[in-house]
Amino acid sequence: MNPELLERAKVLGFSDRQIAHLTGQTEDAVRARRRELKLVPSYRLVDTCAAEFEAYTPYYYSSWDRGDDEVVASDRRKVMILGGGPNRIGQGIEFDYCCVHAAFALKEDGFETLMVNSNPETVSTDYDTSDKLFFEPLTLEDVLHIYEREKCWGAIAQFGGQTPLNLALGLKKNGVNIIGTSPESIEIAEDRKLFAAMLDRLGIPQPQNGLATTEAEALVIARRLGYPVLVRPSFVLGGRAMQIVYSDGELQHYMRYAVEASPERPVLVDKFLEDATEVDVDCVADMGHFPDAKDGTAVIGGILEHIEFAGVHSGDAAMVLPPHTLSLSVIETIRQYTHAMARELRVTGLMNVQYAVKGEKVYVLEVNPRASRTVPFVSKAIGVPLAKLAAKVMAGKTLQELGFTEERWPKYWAVKESVFPFNRFPGQDILLSPEMRSTGEVMGLDADLGIAYAKAQMAAGSPLPLKGKIFLSVAAPHKAEVAEVAQLFVNLGFELVATSGTASVLEKAGIKVQRVLKVLEGRPNIVDHLKNKEIQMVINTPSGAAPREDEVKIRTTAVMTGTPIMTTLSGARAVAMGIEALQKSGFQVRTIQEYH
Amino acid sequence: MPKRTDIHSVLIIGAGPIIIGQACEFDYSGTQACKALREEGYRVILVNSNPATIMTDPEFADRTYIEPITPLAVEKILVRELEEMRRMGVPVDAPGDGSTPGKLVLLPTLGGQTALNTAMALHRTGVLQRLGVEMIGAKADAIQRGEDRETFKQLMIQIGLDVPISGTAHTFEEARGVAERIGRYPLIIRPGFTLGGTGGGIAYNRDEFEEIARRGLDLSPVSEILIEESLLGWKEYEMEVMRDVADNCVIICSIENFDPMGVHTGDSITVAPIQTLTDKEFQIMRDASFAVIRAVGVETGGSNIQFSVNPENGRMIVIEMNPRVSRSSALASKATGFPIAKIAAKLAVGYRLDEIRNDITRETPASFEPTIDYVVTKIPRFAFEKFPQADPTLTTQMKSVGEAMAIGRTFKESLQKCLRSLEIGRSGLGGDGKPWRVGTDVYGDREILPNDIISRKLSVPNAERIFFIRHAFRAGFSADQIFHLTKIDPWFLDQIRELVEFEEELAASAPTIAA
Repeated sequence: MNPELLERAKVLGFSDRQIAHLTGQTEDAVRARRRELKLVPSYRLVDTCAAEFEAYTPYYYSSWDRGDDEVVASDRRKVMILGGGPNRIGQGIEFDYCCVHAAFALKEDGFETLMVNSNPETVSTDYDTSDKLFFEPLTLEDVLHIYEREKCWGAIAQFGGQTPLNLALGLKKNGVNIIGTSPESIEIAEDRKLFAAMLDRLGIPQPQNGLATTEAEALVIARRLGYPVLVRPSFVLGGRAMQIVYSDGELQHYMRYAVEASPERPVLVDKFLEDATEVDVDCVADMGHFPDAKDGTAVIGGILEHIEFAGVHSGDAAMVLPPHTLSLSVIETIRQYTHAMARELRVTGLMNVQYAVKGEKVYVLEVNPRASRTVPFVSKAIGVPLAKLAAKVMAGKTLQELGFTEERWPKYWAVKESVFPFNRFPGQDILLSPEMRSTGEVMGLDADLGIAYAKAQMAAGSPLPLKGKIFLSVAAPHKAEVAEVAQLFVNLGFELVATSGTASVLEKAGIKVQRVLKVLEGRPNIVDHLKNKEIQMVINTPSGAAPREDEVKIRTTAVMTGTPIMTTLSGARAVAMGIEALQKSGFQVRTIQEYH
Repeated sequence: MPKRTDIHSVLIIGAGPIIIGQACEFDYSGTQACKALREEGYRVILVNSNPATIMTDPEFADRTYIEPITPLAVEKILVRELEEMRRMGVPVDAPGDGSTPGKLVLLPTLGGQTALNTAMALHRTGVLQRLGVEMIGAKADAIQRGEDRETFKQLMIQIGLDVPISGTAHTFEEARGVAERIGRYPLIIRPGFTLGGTGGGIAYNRDEFEEIARRGLDLSPVSEILIEESLLGWKEYEMEVMRDVADNCVIICSIENFDPMGVHTGDSITVAPIQTLTDKEFQIMRDASFAVIRAVGVETGGSNIQFSVNPENGRMIVIEMNPRVSRSSALASKATGFPIAKIAAKLAVGYRLDEIRNDITRETPASFEPTIDYVVTKIPRFAFEKFPQADPTLTTQMKSVGEAMAIGRTFKESLQKCLRSLEIGRSGLGGDGKPWRVGTDVYGDREILPNDIISRKLSVPNAERIFFIRHAFRAGFSADQIFHLTKIDPWFLDQIRELVEFEEELAASAPTIAA
């Protein structure tokens, strides 16, 4: 390719991929040609003074104008930390937190740390978080330039979420030393067949499942497993296009419109365990440092029990640490499975496991040998910086050396609640699903579980009412349970309001309830009452896959009027517990320095 | 003036959970503030309910409360901390001569709107006065002047700056009255004291006006909405200003919105420094910025001031001011290297700009205005795929969930770097082989899109508009036509045209390569 044209393309910001497509070559060929021509970017300083004074903070950006390169040379052992790029749903501040910890940890251990990220909102892109900051796009091309220019010893790709994970394979092919758990192990965790084989070997159950590349295959698998099934594309974070389907029709619709299935990117079809409790486990391990993994150490950082039923994305679910309803034997099983998988995968760094518990039986849903969204929450809850320890392990230390070999079981409760942007999107239904839609999270800490939950609700911007009226409307399958939940609120002094269906069920159970009109029954109806702020809380569970229009209207009105709303009965039970605790004693505040 | 010696402890309020309009930039600013104040020897107390933040790591503050950010919880923290200080033997109750550290103060300007609203609630209910807790960074009356739209507007008129014709309303009837007085649509509706303009919008007709006005009144915690003449299509600018206790002011960064007025600045592509103003226009805006921060009376710290300029006659209007560190401050810090939050924290405890050393040069003081010899582009990241029932049109209500920034020697270079940073599968403005999806239709990367689709995607602001400028040039639209559809400044359009022309040149060179 004409060197002059190639150089002009680079000066105008064209990526190798664009050049490749426009000129009918491969990206590798463009890169090879540039190498041949010694056409690489130079790195300039962000120095506040347009180079008028000398700058001491190493904050760089790349440019192709072939001016002076301003990077300060050093011969320390360098580790590159790949950040998470722009925030989006499913990939937020949690991963930036982990990257910052990696920088702090490796600095402490004498490495020179290089941060690469393109998100201006973060602490990772503060110029004094790492030894060198490269404000650059997280693409193979841009990252390789820095890695090669700086002659790094290794790179951490497991802390910044999906963005760097997607780059890991390409980086490795180009000679980058990705430190931590081996890419082979990561492949076992991500490849359905290898993963199932591993679980078989270890005798760990998982929900029955299959892989479909076409609609027909999906139907065959779903019929074999029996509905409902959980379907999702491979290789995504944040539950993009993940869905629970209840019938052939829904499954066909999903395969036709929601995903693009192909042999390279099959759709995963899992038997969905209804009414199971989901559990998230974060653990840190150093197995890869030992010829025999049995000599290594794995320590569980935290076991988080979801409050909502299985099927709500773990990024959206409320969670409790330590578990509040699981039996000791279930917890012991979870512990054993976690350790066994850490050993088998020779985990060196962090690992997150998602389990579903049905009765006393524990199933593994998914294993991710990398930093998870819950790592900062768990670290704060137990007072141990897991990401920092993991980064040190990845760079060579053992947990024995770091003095973290014992699981911590806190004597207080930590509740995680998610925060949603529904008030930004009028008309959007708010039901929780396997597709993650929350933007953030809060933590409620207290010695009393009810107070911890109430604090989490306050922090999330929907404080629990202490008195007033509660509107109840539940779907048919939940009607058996609703009387019991309603009684909890009656005992707490609330008045109940319901439309005909739910009201009949409650009246039959001998509970006093005020009847109001449904949306289509006339005015004033429930939506008017909500708008007039006559209702202090809404408990509304969905009536199946295609929600009725009036239900959606009730839920969206609750959001727009700032009325707290619970869309699951398990959530409602937690609310009752929180209100009871608040009514009894109010809440107190305490520092985390005192907790730990 | 050296730092204050009467302060013993500082309570910093964080921003709480990540929501649209208030993202992790406040972890960045709060973390910097914690570090800066501890460096000065103050005891730092922090409250933030978000466990995923660096600032809530136990080593960043002396006392870290992971508790709800509500007036009640913060009051409990203040009471508890005053008791703790008494227990430590701090002379909390003896006023003294200012030479003994005894005071507990509250810094509310680094935790976004959440922190500011919480502090103002504690001020209004008299809690701060009762407990003897002073607000530093910005006083309550300055916050009031900056945040209350009517007060702010009157103040701007007093100092001779132009403002949009507008009126506030507290009831639906008042709102109708204001709309009649302004007399023409479209109208902009902005609810008071809400984050990122929640509940606001643009009304093109009476029906829309009534709907948005009702929603805005509902959502504003003080049931107040501002109704304004439309500045749609005007150019939009932001200035990041800092001021110290001795009245020194500096501009840290000037930012130009690529998308004209009508799109929330958090949803706009923005560029630093300003690209399309003459030096004279820029200097007028700079002087106006200083006049605004002085009139509002933000004594110490940073503020963000938004301006609008009519491209037809150059009429310059002050839109609004944030009397606190904002999302744009984080961007300005990263764009210039100047640590706004850190300096704001130091100014809040009494330092002057000329007394604070710039870490980067170790030679120049913080009163030295940053100069940049590159171009910075920020592009918002949206998540509409998660909210299929929501309207993806960009308006004055922020909808983006994140952003990417890139630095280059030219706008063209930084734009393309930023586009490939977005994690939307694109490697630049186009020509990367990835097909384009418009509704249910799919077009090849180099395919020419139908004119009607292009026109629609240009005239109604949306997340992909930048790419449709490329499509438009490739489909033969003139820069003038694109300008009329988008009102995006011709200079920017020209830059994109150059990229498109080069793309064609590169594509034309392909056969010889293949041969």
